[in-house]
Amino acid sequence: MAKKGNVDELAIFGGTQMFSTPKPTSNLVRPDFEKFLGYSKDFFDRHQYTDDGVLVKQLEQRLTAFHQTEFCVAFCSGYWALALAISALTRAGKTEIVMPSFTYRRMADIAAWTGLKPHFCDVEPETMANSAMTVRPCINDNTALILGVHPIVNFCDIDGLVDLARKKNIPLLFDSVESVYESCAGRKIGGFGAGEIFSLGASKLVNGFEGGYLTTNDAKLAARLALARNFGLDKAGNVAVSGGLNAKLNEIHAAMALAGLDDLEDQFERNRQRYLIYQRLLAPLKGIRLLEFDESHRPGYKNIVIEILDDWPLSRADTVSILNAEMILARAYYTPPLHRKRMAYPYESAELPVTDRLSERYVLPPCGHLVSKDDIAMIVELMKFISANASAIKVRLQQPHPQHQGVQAK
Amino acid sequence: MSPADFALFGAPAAFDQPLPVGQRYFPSWQRYEAAFRGIFERQYYTEYGPLNRQLEQQLQQFLGVKHAICVTNETIGLMMVADAMGLTGKVILQGSASIASAQSLRWAGLEPVFCDVDPDTHHIGLDQIDALIDKDVSAIMGVHLWGGACDPVALQKLADARGVQLYFDAAHAFGCAVDGVRIGNFGRAEVFSFHQDNILNAGEGGCICTNDDELAARLRTMRSSAGAGTPTEVTKTVNGRMSEAQAAIALMNLDDFQANQKNNRAIFELYETHLTAIPGIQLIQPTGVGFSNYQHVVCMVDEDEFQIPRDLLIELLRAENVDAKQCLSQVLLRIHPYIHDFPHYQNHLPNTDRFCATCVQLPIGTLVYSQNVEHICNIILSAHRASANILTYYKSKNTKENST
Repeated sequence: MAKKGNVDELAIFGGTQMFSTPKPTSNLVRPDFEKFLGYSKDFFDRHQYTDDGVLVKQLEQRLTAFHQTEFCVAFCSGYWALALAISALTRAGKTEIVMPSFTYRRMADIAAWTGLKPHFCDVEPETMANSAMTVRPCINDNTALILGVHPIVNFCDIDGLVDLARKKNIPLLFDSVESVYESCAGRKIGGFGAGEIFSLGASKLVNGFEGGYLTTNDAKLAARLALARNFGLDKAGNVAVSGGLNAKLNEIHAAMALAGLDDLEDQFERNRQRYLIYQRLLAPLKGIRLLEFDESHRPGYKNIVIEILDDWPLSRADTVSILNAEMILARAYYTPPLHRKRMAYPYESAELPVTDRLSERYVLPPCGHLVSKDDIAMIVELMKFISANASAIKVRLQQPHPQHQGVQAK
Repeated sequence: MSPADFALFGAPAAFDQPLPVGQRYFPSWQRYEAAFRGIFERQYYTEYGPLNRQLEQQLQQFLGVKHAICVTNETIGLMMVADAMGLTGKVILQGSASIASAQSLRWAGLEPVFCDVDPDTHHIGLDQIDALIDKDVSAIMGVHLWGGACDPVALQKLADARGVQLYFDAAHAFGCAVDGVRIGNFGRAEVFSFHQDNILNAGEGGCICTNDDELAARLRTMRSSAGAGTPTEVTKTVNGRMSEAQAAIALMNLDDFQANQKNNRAIFELYETHLTAIPGIQLIQPTGVGFSNYQHVVCMVDEDEFQIPRDLLIELLRAENVDAKQCLSQVLLRIHPYIHDFPHYQNHLPNTDRFCATCVQLPIGTLVYSQNVEHICNIILSAHRASANILTYYKSKNTKENST
C-alpha cells in the first residue's frame, strides 16, 4: 500500500497502486467453512444435488421465519425469480410494467423476457426510489404490474405504493434485493405487496454463490412459483402451470446460503462498523456527503453510498477513474439510468428529470468482507488528497497519457 | 413368483432406498472438501472466476470446440442461444423433445413446430422436416437423445438447403461423438445440461458450445458483465452465470468422465444381457453415434408380447423402489398450453405417440451396482411370467380401493 506524496504518485498518472488486491463494492461475505461443510453433508449423503432437495426446503423455512412471512420460494437467481414472479402476477391482456429507470442495469431486460414493455417512472429526490407520486402518472389501461424497487440506502415509498396498487387494483411486486435486513414500522421487509424478491448472489447480504428467492403471504402465488421454477411440472411429472422454466436453486448454493444465515447477525455488526468509520472519516471532507441509513429501519449497512456535491472539485467520472486506477473499485450508482440506454425492444418513458439529475451524483465506494477498517481509512485519505490537489490533477488529466486508465470492476 | 411377492401387492420393497434413474456422479467427500476450501480461500464465488475459466478451457479441449460458454442451466442456455441467433417466428423440433426445449422457445418469443420422430431412431424424422418448413420457420432445433444423436450432418444439409438455422439440445449427449467429431461442434450451437441426471453433473448447470466467434461474443456479453471479453451488441442480457461452486463440481466430474462412461457402459451391457431374454422388452441402443456416454437405459414395452401394460410395469417397479419412469410424461403437444395452442397437431405424430406410450426408463449411474441390474431385470422377468395373475390381482386391488 502506498500513500500519495504528490500528484505524480497517483496510479492514474503511473504511480504505484494504493492496493495490490481489488477493493470491491461487492459484499462477498464468506460464511464459516465448517458450517458450509456441515450443511453439505446433508445433500452429499442423500446423493441429491438439486430438484427439491432438503437444503432448499430448509433454506426456505429459515427465510420464511427471518422475513416473518408465510411462504418463501427459492430460485437460481434473483433475476429469474423476478421474471417468473412478474409473469405469474401480470394481469391478463395487459402489456406494461411500471418500474424506475434509476435501478439495476438488467431490470428492463427482465421485463423484455417476460414479454412486457417497461414503462419507466421517475424517483423521489429524497429516497432515490419510486413512489406513489412518481408511479401514478405512468398508470394506464395497459398497466400489468407495478414494480416497487428499494434503493441501496433506506426504502421506497412502501405505504404509498401499497395504497396506490390497492386503489387501482394492480398487482404490486417489490424488488427488495437491497433491503433484506430492514423493517418498516416494525414489520420486516418481505411481507409487503403481492410478493418481494431477494438475491442470494455473492455480492448480496446472504451469499449463496448465486440464487434468489421470493417471500409472500399469498399461498396461491407461492404454490404457482414453486411449480414454475421446475418447468411447471408437478410431482407426477405433469405440467401443472404453463410458462415455467428451469429456475431451480441447487443444493450446494442452498448450503452456502444457510451457512450465511448462521453468520448474519455477526455480519450485520461488521458492516455497521465499516459504515461508522466511513461516517466518521467522511464528515470533515467538503464536497462529499454520505447517505445515512435510517436507524429506525434496522438497516443492514451492506453498501455505502456517497453523493458528489457541487463543491467537490472534480467530476464524478474523473473521481471514479482516479480511484479505480488505485484498485479501489468504486463505481457510479445505477449509471446510466435505464431510459438512457439503447434498447432493442419497446419501452415507454416520459421525461425523468429527477432520475437524470440524481444519476450524475452518486458513487458506491468499496464495502463488504474484503474491505478492512484500514482500507477505508486509506480510501478516505486518498479522497482528501484528491480534494487538496484537485487543480494539479485537473491539469494532468488534460494531458494525454498512456496510463490514464481505470481497472475493470470485478 | 406369485403376485403376493411383489411390493405393489404388499410384499417388502426390493430396495431400501429409491434407486433414481439419473446419473448422480459426484466427487468423493475429500475432493469436494478440498475444492471448496480453495474457493473459500480465494473468496471468488461467481462472475467468471478462475474455476469457470479453467472449466471452459478444459471443455473446449475435451470437445474440440472453439467456444464453451458455461451457464446456470441448459434451459437458460437454450433461451440465450435462441435470442443471440436472432431467431424469429417458428422453430421445428421433435414432438418427443423435453419440456425444457419447448419452454426455451416460448421465453424467446418463438413458436414450436412439432415434427414426428423416426420409428427406428426415435430421433427427429428427417424425411418429415421439409414439409414443415414455411416462410415463418427460422430454425431447426435438433435434439440428441439418450446417449445417441439425431443425424447432425444430414440436418445441416437440410437446413442449408432451406436457408434456416440449426442448433441442438444436447442435454443427453455430453462426450458422445459422430464420426470422431464430438457433439458440441454441430450446427450454430449445441447446448449441454450439467443437471445431476446427466453424465457431467454440476448439480445444476449447462454449457453452450459453438465454433462461431461472433455468436460466442454475443453469448458472453449476454451472460454477465465479467468474462464478456470485448462487449458486443445484444438485444437483452440475462443472469446466465455459472458459479464457482458449480464449476468446481463439473471440473471434478470432467476428470472422471472416462471412468464414469466405462461404468455406464458396463451397466448398459448388463441390462442388455438380462433384458434380451424377456419377451416384449426392447432395449434402445444409442443411435447415430460412434461413441456414446451410455447415460440412459430406455426400453420399449410391447404390451402384446410382454403381457403387462407399460404403465403397470412402471407401477410395479416403483413399488419396489426402482424409480422407473416414462421418458416423457406426456407428448408435449398433448399438454397445456400446447394442446390449446396447436390443436392441429393432435394425432398427426403417430410415431411420437407410439413411442411415448411404450417407453420406460430404468436406473443407470453411480448408485446402480451390477447386482441391482440383475435384480431389476429379474423383477421385470418375473412380472412377465406372472402376468396373468398380476393382472387379476391388480384389477381386484383397484376394485377394492375404488369401493373403499
